[in-house]
Amino acid sequence: MRAHDFTIARTVGEALSRSGDGSAYLAGGTTLVDLMKLDVMTPQRVVDINRLPMRGVHRDRRGLHIGALERMSDIAGYPLVKAGYPVIAEALLASASGQLRNMASIGGNLLQRSRCGYFRDTATPCNKREPGTGCSALNGENRMHAILGTSNSCVSTHPSDLAVALVALDAAVQLRDRSGVRTVRLADFYRLPGTTPHLEHDLRPGELVTGVMVPRLDWARRSTYLKIRDRTSYEFALTSAAVAVNLSGRTIRDVRLAVGGVGTRPWRLPAVEDALRNRPLRQDVVEAAAARAVADARPLAHNRFKVSLVQRTIVRAVMSLKG
Amino acid sequence: MSQQSPLGKPVNRVDGRLKVTGAAGYASDHHPDRLAHGYLVLSTVGRGSIRSMDTAAAQRSAGVLAVYTPLNPLKLFNQGGGLFGPNWVPLQDTEVRHHGQIVGLVVAETFEQARDAAALVRVAYDARTPVASFEDNIPNAAVPEPFFFGPAIQDYLADGVASIDDALAAAEVTVSGSYRQPIKLHNPMEPHSTVAVWRDGHVTVYSGTQAPVGHVQDIARCVGVDQARVRVVSPYVGGGFGNKAMTWGHTLLTVAAARALDRPVSTVLTREQMFTVTGHRSAVAQTVALGATRDGVLIAVKHDAYSSASTSGAMFPWGPHTTTLPLYRSENIHIGQRAVTLDIPTSTIMRAPNEEPGAFAIESAMDELAARLRMDPVELRMKNGTTVVPGNGHPWSSKHLDECYRVGARRFGWSRRNPVPGKVTSPDREWLIGMGMATAIYPAARFPSQVKIRLQADGTAGVSTAGADLGTGLWTVLAQLGADALGIPMDRIRPDIGDSALPNNTGAVSSASTAGAASALRLAAESVKRALIQLAVENPRSPFHGMNPQDVRYADGALTAAARRVSFGDLLEATGSAAVEATEGVGFGGDRQGFEFASFGAHFCEVRVNRWTGETRVSRFTTVVDAGKIINPKTARSQIIGGVIFGIGQALSEGIQVEPATGRFANANFAEYLVPVNADVPPMDVQFVQHPDTAFNSEGVRGIGELGTVGAAAAIANAVYNATGRRIRDLPITPDKLL
Ligand SMILES: Cc1cc2nc3c(=O)[nH]c(=O)nc-3n(C[C@H](O)[C@H](O)[C@H](O)COP(=O)(O)OP(=O)(O)OC[C@H]3O[C@@H](n4cnc5c(N)ncnc54)[C@H](O)[C@@H]3O)c2cc1C
Ligand code: SF4
Repeated sequence: MRAHDFTIARTVGEALSRSGDGSAYLAGGTTLVDLMKLDVMTPQRVVDINRLPMRGVHRDRRGLHIGALERMSDIAGYPLVKAGYPVIAEALLASASGQLRNMASIGGNLLQRSRCGYFRDTATPCNKREPGTGCSALNGENRMHAILGTSNSCVSTHPSDLAVALVALDAAVQLRDRSGVRTVRLADFYRLPGTTPHLEHDLRPGELVTGVMVPRLDWARRSTYLKIRDRTSYEFALTSAAVAVNLSGRTIRDVRLAVGGVGTRPWRLPAVEDALRNRPLRQDVVEAAAARAVADARPLAHNRFKVSLVQRTIVRAVMSLKG
Repeated sequence: MSQQSPLGKPVNRVDGRLKVTGAAGYASDHHPDRLAHGYLVLSTVGRGSIRSMDTAAAQRSAGVLAVYTPLNPLKLFNQGGGLFGPNWVPLQDTEVRHHGQIVGLVVAETFEQARDAAALVRVAYDARTPVASFEDNIPNAAVPEPFFFGPAIQDYLADGVASIDDALAAAEVTVSGSYRQPIKLHNPMEPHSTVAVWRDGHVTVYSGTQAPVGHVQDIARCVGVDQARVRVVSPYVGGGFGNKAMTWGHTLLTVAAARALDRPVSTVLTREQMFTVTGHRSAVAQTVALGATRDGVLIAVKHDAYSSASTSGAMFPWGPHTTTLPLYRSENIHIGQRAVTLDIPTSTIMRAPNEEPGAFAIESAMDELAARLRMDPVELRMKNGTTVVPGNGHPWSSKHLDECYRVGARRFGWSRRNPVPGKVTSPDREWLIGMGMATAIYPAARFPSQVKIRLQADGTAGVSTAGADLGTGLWTVLAQLGADALGIPMDRIRPDIGDSALPNNTGAVSSASTAGAASALRLAAESVKRALIQLAVENPRSPFHGMNPQDVRYADGALTAAARRVSFGDLLEATGSAAVEATEGVGFGGDRQGFEFASFGAHFCEVRVNRWTGETRVSRFTTVVDAGKIINPKTARSQIIGGVIFGIGQALSEGIQVEPATGRFANANFAEYLVPVNADVPPMDVQFVQHPDTAFNSEGVRGIGELGTVGAAAAIANAVYNATGRRIRDLPITPDKLL
C-alpha cells in the first residue's frame, strides 16, 4: 500500500471539498482497501464518508429510496425490500459472505472493481488498470469472463449481483458533486469497455453516489435472483439472472430481465423481455425467448459454456416464478 | 478404587479452550524485543535469469533495514533437501525456475514497511519461455528412480501371461478410462511463518511445523550452523496437510537474516505467496483399465499415473498407482508411475499423496465396471477383496473392510439406490439425485518416536515428545494415553509437544503420530513405574525402603505393598525428589513381522445435480472406518470429516489453472481458488468399526488423518454418474461439465 492522506468527512460539503482527481471515498472499504493493498488502486487521498447522512430505506409514490451507505446485509433484511423486491434481497444474500455484507455499502457495491485476476496482479498487462498495456485475459485464463459487450481491449464482467437486480428494475443512482445533483439510470451509468476499459462509469472525479432509487413496480413482488456458481456460497457468478414477472393467469403481462456473469456491465435483455411479453409462461416459450439473450455473444477460449448456461439460467429463473 | 480410563472416550481437546480464546501462541504470535519483519519478493516470470535488480527505492523506504537478493544474498548451503522439501535454496543464483519464486527478502522495522518497500523492488529479467503445460508434456514423461514404493513400474502376471495387455484382451468384460486432476493447494488456515531469535550463537526458531526435529536438521544444514545450536518451538500449528512437514525458503532466509542483522526477524507469508512458495499437490493424469469375468471377478488391473514435478527439484512425485496394488485381488496387475517435469513451483506431499489421486482413478473405474456388469458396486468390491498383498503375499494384520461396506450401506440406506442412472429426482423435478460409494485405504505407518514420562512431586505427570498437533489431536491423545497408562485423571497429565528439545519424534506425517506416540508412551510408562519402585525401595526416607522391588506394585498413581499405599506425589515429596522420569522409543514399522498394515474405510454419498444448470451439491455423506482402536472418537471424527471435506473440494471446486505460456498460477488467491465453504458440506455420518490391531502395536491403533480423504471424490463422482448418467473423469466437476 502506498502512503496517502486520510481524512474523515463529517458533512457532504466537507467530503466534496476534499475530493477530486486522485482521491477516493472510503465506505466499507472491502474493494478499496483490498485493491490498495494489491497496489491496484493508488489514491493519494482517502476520504472516509461513513459519517455522512446517506442512510435509510424508505418508500414513497415514486418508489424505493436507499441511502448509499446502507450496508448490504441491512438492505437485504428490510421488510420493504424483502416483500416488495425479493430480487434485490436475494441478489444481496447471494453476494460475498456475511462478514463482507455487514461491511459493504450499496454505493460501494455498485462501484466495485473487476474481479479479473489480471486486473488484480500488477505484474501482468491489463488495459483496465494501465491503459494501453494490453488485455491478458483475451488469450489467457478467461473462464469467468464476459461473452457480451466485450471488446478486444477488455473482456471483464461486471461483478456486482445487486447491479443486475437494479438494472432489471430500472433503478437510478443519485449523484452529487460541487456543481449540484443529478440522477442517472443505472443502465446508462455503466459504460461498455470499448477502447477505454479503465472508464467504467459516468462518475465525475470527486462526485458522490448519495443514493439509489428503485421505481415503483408493484408486481416486482413476484421476482427472483438466480445465481449459478462453482460453489454453494461465497463465490461470484458464472451466470445469474434477475427476473420479475407480472402474471395474469398463465400469461406474462410484463417482465423485467437482466443477467450477470456474462456481460461487461449488468446486462438487461429487452429482446428476451419482448419475446416473453403477452406469452404463456411455459418452458418452450421461455426457452425460445432465452435464445435471444446470446444472439451477440462472443465466447472466449474457456467460457463457451456460458452461452448455454446463461440461457438455462434464464429459463430456470423465469420458470421458478410460475408459482 | 480403579481410575476410569479416558481411553476411547470422546473427550474434549485439552488445548481447545486456549485455541478458541486466542491464548494459544502460534509462531507469529511471538514478538521478542527489537523484532524486525521480513517480506518476500517473488518472481514475475516463469523461467529465465535475473539481469539486474533495482533496490534503491526499497532501501530508501521508511524503516528498511536490508534488502537481500541474489545479487546481495544471504549465504545458504544447498546440500540436498530433506526427504520431502525442495532441494533448492533461495537467492543463491540468479536463475528463475518458476513463476512466484523467491527473489528477495526485504527486512524492515514493521510488517507494513517491509511489504511496501518490497513493492518498490524492480527486477529486470532475461525471460525465457517456461515449459509449463502439463497436458502438452505428458508425452515427455520420464520413469522416475525407485523410491519408497519400489520400482515405478511393476507387473504381477499369472503364469503364462506375457503382458497386462494380453490379460486385458483375454477378459470377458473390460472398461478403461482416463482421469485427470489439476494441481491443488494445502491452504492451511495458519500461514507459514517463522520468527528467528539468536542469542550467543544459538537460534530459537518459532515456526509452525509438523516436524520440529526435521526442521532443526534442515535449518542447521542450510544456514550452516551446528544442529545443537538450533531449537525449533512449535507447540501449536494451524493446519499443515503436509506442507509444514518440510522447510521452505522463507524460514531459511529469516534465520539467516536474523543472524546477519543481529536482531530477531519474523516473516509471515501472505496467502497469495503460499501458493508458490510452500508446495502443492501435483497435477495427475491417470489411465485405468480393468478386465473381469462376466460375474465380476477381476482378472486384469492396469493403472498408470503421470504426475507433474518441478525443475526446482525436490521429491519424487508420489505414486497414485500404488493405491491400486493392495486394494483388490487380481491375477494380473500392472501399476506404473511417470513424472512430467515442468517449470512450476515445487510439489510436495499433501494429505494422502498417493491415495487421494489414486483412489479417484481406481474407484471411479470400479464403478464403471460395476455399471458395465450391472452389478452392485459394493458387491463387486466385496467379491474382489484381498486377504494378502500382491507381490509380497503378506496378509493384512487386521482388515474389516467388508464390515465397513455392510455397516455403511445400512446406515446410509444404500439399498434404496436405483442402479439405473438419471431416474431419481427431487419432488419438484429440478434436481437429479444420485448415490455413489467408494473404498478408502491408507497404509498404516509408524516412525521413530520417543516419549518421556516424568512423574512429579505435585502429583502431576509430564508426557512429552517432539511431535506436532496440527489440529490432529496429539495434545489430547497424549493426555488420554498418559492418564490410562499411569492410572491417574487426565487433568494431572501435562502433555508437552512441538519443541525439538523434547524427546525425538519424526513428526506428524503419514498419519503415524498416534501409533508412534502410543507405543512409546506405553513403554515409557512401564519404565517410569520401575524407576519409581526402584526409588521407593532404595531411598531411606521412603516408606517402602528396604523392600523387595517385586513386592511393590504400581496402580492408579500409587505404590502399594504390605497394605501400605502411597501416591507417587507423596512418595516423591517424602523422599525429597522433584521427579522420576523415563524415556522410551519405538522405531519404524509394526510390532509383528510378516504382516501388511493399513486402515480401510467405505464412503457412501448422495448428490443432487441441477437438471438445468449443472451444479452438484453433496447432500449426505456416510463414512465407515476400520482404523483399529480409536483413542478419541471426537477428534477422530473431526479428522474423518476434514478428510471428506478435502474430498469435496477435490471433486467439485479446487484446482490451479496454470497458464501454459507463462507458468503463472492464474488463481493463486482465496477468492479464485475455491475451497469448500460451510454451505458445501452436508450432514456427515462417521462410524468406526473398532478392531484393535495389536499386531501393529500394543495399543492396537492405526492412523486416520489422511484416510478420510481417500476415495471421497470418487464416491461423489460415482454419485454424479448415478444421478445423471454422465461420467466426469476430469476434476473438478464444475457446472459447465454437466450441461
Ligand atoms: C472476497 C469477496 C467476495 C465478494 N463477492 C461478491 C459477490 O459474490 N457479489 C457481489 O456483488 N459482490 C461481491 N464482493 C464485492 C463486494 O460486494 C464489494 O466489495 C462491496 O460491495 C463494496 O462496498 P464497500 O462499501 O466496501 O466499498 P468501498 O471499498 O468502500 O468502495 C468501493 C469503491 O467505490 C467508491 N465509493 C464507495 N462509496 C462511494 C460513494 N458513496 N460515492 C462515490 N464513490 C464511492 C470507493 O472510492 C471505491 O472506489 C465481494 C468482495 C470480496 C472481497
Ligand atoms: S479483461 Fe479487462 S480487466 Fe481483465 S486483463 Fe483484460 S483489460 Fe484487464
